[in-house]
Amino acid sequence: MSASAPASFDLREGGEARPRHLGRRLAQSSLLRVLGRRLLAAIPVMWGVTFLTFLVMNLVPGNVARSLLGATATPAQVNHYEAQLGLNHPFFTLYGNWLGNVLQGNFGNSYSSHAPVTSTIASQLPVSFELIAYGFIISLVVAFPLALLAARRPNGIVDRISMAFSMAGVSIANYVLAVVLVWVFADVVSVFPAIGFVSIGTNFGENLRSLTLPAIAVGVPLAGFYTRLLRADLLEQMQREDYVITARAKGIGPWRVIVRHALRNSLFGLITVIALNFGTLLGAAVIIEQIFSLPGLGNGLIQAIGNHDTPVIEATVLIFALMTVAGNLLADVLYAVIDPRIRYGSTAE
Amino acid sequence: MAAQPSSAGVAGALSLPLSEGAAAPSGRLRRTLKITIPAGMLLVIFFLCFLGPLIFAVPGPTYTNILDANEGLFSHHHLLGTDQVGYDILSRILYGGRASLEIALAVNGIGMAVGGFFGMVAGYVGGWRDAVMMRFIDVLIAFPGIVLAIAIAERLGPSEFHVILALTVFSVPAFARLSRAATLRVREETFVVAARLSGTRTNRLLLRHVLPNILPQLITFNLLGMGIVVVLEGALSFLNLGIPSPQPSWGNMIANGQTVLTAEPRLVIVPSIALFITVLSLNLLGDGLREHWSAR
Repeated sequence: MSASAPASFDLREGGEARPRHLGRRLAQSSLLRVLGRRLLAAIPVMWGVTFLTFLVMNLVPGNVARSLLGATATPAQVNHYEAQLGLNHPFFTLYGNWLGNVLQGNFGNSYSSHAPVTSTIASQLPVSFELIAYGFIISLVVAFPLALLAARRPNGIVDRISMAFSMAGVSIANYVLAVVLVWVFADVVSVFPAIGFVSIGTNFGENLRSLTLPAIAVGVPLAGFYTRLLRADLLEQMQREDYVITARAKGIGPWRVIVRHALRNSLFGLITVIALNFGTLLGAAVIIEQIFSLPGLGNGLIQAIGNHDTPVIEATVLIFALMTVAGNLLADVLYAVIDPRIRYGSTAE
Repeated sequence: MAAQPSSAGVAGALSLPLSEGAAAPSGRLRRTLKITIPAGMLLVIFFLCFLGPLIFAVPGPTYTNILDANEGLFSHHHLLGTDQVGYDILSRILYGGRASLEIALAVNGIGMAVGGFFGMVAGYVGGWRDAVMMRFIDVLIAFPGIVLAIAIAERLGPSEFHVILALTVFSVPAFARLSRAATLRVREETFVVAARLSGTRTNRLLLRHVLPNILPQLITFNLLGMGIVVVLEGALSFLNLGIPSPQPSWGNMIANGQTVLTAEPRLVIVPSIALFITVLSLNLLGDGLREHWSAR
């Protein structure tokens, strides 16, 4: 680990942002250019993901006609249904048609419900987003005070407790936490509902109540992770940086030094990880949505795979992939917003 | 820079507590304990899961006698009781742990070998080949592994081996990224440049100079990764994609126990504790090793 400023980059891939060629980098710097490059690099990735999904679904035995018509369907019926859906074509034709339509903004209709895919996704997306946002809020509300208290007196009693909590948080599986939470808060004391979702439009209070246990299950493992990360970054700032020593020497109170000075410079690692988590969290939410029967993207995906409903699967996978890519981009942009010294040169990546 | 007082000098002048614990004589002992305690816990867990059933008399994990169903903790013959169809819980915990650990070892072994090699080569060759290779890894990362897991389970049927196949989709790209990042850091080191200039062939250079220097990071990640895989295996069980019943795994014990949670919370709690302690030990050991290696 080198000194503090590049160290925050070490979380990302390699030492691509080393302070070499500083003059040249400053001369050619442009956040927009880097964004453009990243977006261009994202196109083959998105294409690869859709193709891989198509390929994988093609390997799954059976198809939508069979799974919808049931075991008693005759081959003629199956063929007829396939022709109706336009499925009686070779693999590459099917993929080409799908891709062509998507590029024109047409995601097609669900094979099973025949509703437009966009409307299916539009009903599921807010649920997953709300769950993840709620989980993020819980994790940050827990992580910030814990990390600040821990960094205030390293190796003190508060630090030990917060480290024990965060180690436990990192080590507990979110589904175990979900099941235990249901047991305690829905069975032993009925504070929160075990399953059932109230949409945000119906009743906001009930909506939050129905999402609280799932959000805790998503948020606590994250909180453990974030606490550890933020504490480590805070300590590094507190122990190594001249400006902290200057601030202390000026007689600024210890809390003010931590919150106003060290915290701001400790946020890089946390922000990167939060942005990167955004995509992976959608995947983690699949299990949580399943356990709490939430009508989100994850539940929809499982159902769609069961029905061989390729248009829905593809659209959902595309959203997962978009979130991952967008998270990466967001991390880059936020770096520059927080620290105006950071400039992206053409040598990066 | 030489004329300016170093931060340590300023700190010394102001006598501020700068580097807590690092120089203290107990630091070394604490670091050692941070490795030996979780390593010991893991040894015990491995011993119990792989050799335990040979030493204590436990019924087979799929042996059932319906007359013995729903026995409580510490009952006669069944230390941890039985579940709703009469399976012995202790036996299933031990055999289930064996399955979970086997899967974790295999998935991370494959991940480290395949992904680690891939990332090392990509990082070392650099340029457009690196870009192409890493876009491929990006696809795997952005692709939701759950789709592949379901496809594999439906196409090939659920089994321990197929769980391993499905989970390598998570481990290979993670190892590839890590080993590429580590390689990029090592690549510019003087000894690597010196070896390259003195005409060392690429194969030898990668194996003898780069690999030994990125291995500590890969091994640390292996431990953290094993924890992740043990957890993911359980997640697959919740979707009926994990180890098929009646074969036990901690994941499917928790998933199955969840259906009778109100009546028998023990069926969920016992495997959850086993899972938690194992993942905790792996994380602690990973942490301890990282501290040890970075302190050197």
